[in-house]
Amino acid sequence: MDNSKIISIEGLKKTFTTTGGKFTALNGINLEFGKGEFTGVVGPSGSGKTTLLNIIGSLDSPSEGKAIVLGKSIGELNVKQSAMLRRSQLGFIFQSYNLLPVYTVFENVEFPLLLLNMNDGQRKKMVLDSLEWLGLTDKIKSMPSQLSGGECQRVAIARAMVKKPEIVLADEPTANLDAANSHHILKSMVQLNKEFNTTFIFATHDDKVIGYLHRKISLVDGKVAKDEITNN
Amino acid sequence: MKLLFKLAARNLIGAGRRTWLNVIVLSFSFIIIIWHKGILNGWESQAKNDMTEWETGGGQYWQSVYDPFDPFSLTEAHAAIPAAMDSSCAKGNMASILVTQGTIYPGGRIQSILIKGINSNQKVLKIPGALFESDSSEIPALIGSRMAEDNRLKTGDLVTLRWRDKNGTFDAGEMKIIGIFKTNVPMVDAGQIWLPLDHLQKMMGMPGEATILVCKKDLKVTASTAGWNFKSTELLQKSVSDMIKMKSVSGAILYLILMSLAMLAIFDTQVLSIFRRQKEIGTYIALGMTRFQVVGLFTIEGSLNSVLSAILAAMYGIPLLALQASRGMSFPGGSKDFGIVMADKIYPTYSLELIGITILFIMITTTIVSYLPSRRIAKMNPTEALRGKLQ
Repeated sequence: MDNSKIISIEGLKKTFTTTGGKFTALNGINLEFGKGEFTGVVGPSGSGKTTLLNIIGSLDSPSEGKAIVLGKSIGELNVKQSAMLRRSQLGFIFQSYNLLPVYTVFENVEFPLLLLNMNDGQRKKMVLDSLEWLGLTDKIKSMPSQLSGGECQRVAIARAMVKKPEIVLADEPTANLDAANSHHILKSMVQLNKEFNTTFIFATHDDKVIGYLHRKISLVDGKVAKDEITNN
Repeated sequence: MKLLFKLAARNLIGAGRRTWLNVIVLSFSFIIIIWHKGILNGWESQAKNDMTEWETGGGQYWQSVYDPFDPFSLTEAHAAIPAAMDSSCAKGNMASILVTQGTIYPGGRIQSILIKGINSNQKVLKIPGALFESDSSEIPALIGSRMAEDNRLKTGDLVTLRWRDKNGTFDAGEMKIIGIFKTNVPMVDAGQIWLPLDHLQKMMGMPGEATILVCKKDLKVTASTAGWNFKSTELLQKSVSDMIKMKSVSGAILYLILMSLAMLAIFDTQVLSIFRRQKEIGTYIALGMTRFQVVGLFTIEGSLNSVLSAILAAMYGIPLLALQASRGMSFPGGSKDFGIVMADKIYPTYSLELIGITILFIMITTTIVSYLPSRRIAKMNPTEALRGKLQ
């Protein structure tokens, strides 16, 4: 891990209007993330973990404060600039995999590269490399419906990693997996983090994930309760 | 754009039965619209062709007083055939017709009719004038099959004919049916008898006179001449064009119903698809597509239904429509029952223009219908879409 800061969050607030009134999901968050970190944002449900990840991922914007990701202020990006940031430099891993159901494993992993307009040869090589890292070369032609949960999540990781993004945001990546599969994919992610120096940020409350983290940020009621470096 | 088309095609095929149901319904619309238009086109061209051959020729000169909708004009609607036109008649480029009113008494009944005299050697119209050559002491008359059926007349029958000559004097004679011709054009058949022109001229005391001069099909005439007004084929066949136009308008209601059904299916599929695929939409956005690209993707997906249905329609429609174009469609007694120019068998004609316009019309409609529900995506919050939480 080097010390260059790639994410800087200052006084971040996020409020939502609900039927019951205003709900504050994030309440004055100040954080920095360096390149190559393997960090988890932990906390109970409703503590604001996913909201924080969504803002870092430019899927949402701050109500107050600043979130600067890879030198870009998320609140000031227009729709197209946000899309370009996600397309080129961010990878997402979701709890329920979110694989595109009508595409094969190969096509799912290829999808982010299609959006980057890469040529066929380069695209194919990158997809095969990515599938090889995750041990999925024998599943290239399979459809998502033919895969187990663990395999689906590995495909999702391959899809997130295929373009070698600066940051991978993983929202509860092990929530739908058993212990063996959870450890398998977490080991894969640790390896990818080491190999490519990609920054991984997790939103989780799974102890198995916490066991792999280098840094643990605890959120309670939208505030940072603890920010600690772990011994992993 | 290429990527969106590729993805849309993949998604559409991947949707399986939902897609094929829409495609099948839409392909029916394609076929029925093309078939119906083809029948109308075939009917129009056959009707106009029949009218040209039996009634209008390549245009007509009407004696200036002649008004087919005013029977009282007939007493005055006759004049000597101008020399140039008489020569054209002799050359076979024109046929002259003298028209007057009369009465027949078939089987003791009384029936008002139009008496038309036509030169026996003319080849401009299909009226079989050659039959007049038969030697008969009675007035030789040709009638159409409708007239024969309505008055229970047959070849060889003798019927009393009464008419008024140019001085208004009533005269009568025995008329012999020497032939019955079959035509799809009721305007030369119903309520009329055809006599040799010279015979009628003699009966009326109007030697060398006529009411109508019919030009040969390809004769290039456009100008009127003194005492004779030229009527073009387009004008003479306007009633058929108007009728087909009216049928097309009523046919549009059928298209509207068909298209509404198909478009409703596509609209419904799009709405359902957007609702069911919220996570997928959120994923597209998370992976770096803009919302407008996703709107485009769903719109293209919907509009590709029309491309697939055009392909499917071509697969079963081309043989079906070609078969019908070669065998025709029977409308027995159509012209008799409806009093309009209509062949017993209509051969549909399909032009490239008709097919092209139909495809374009369906594609544009499908694209609009696909776009309308897809606009909702532009307003979606991607974080909620990812969780599939939108209602």
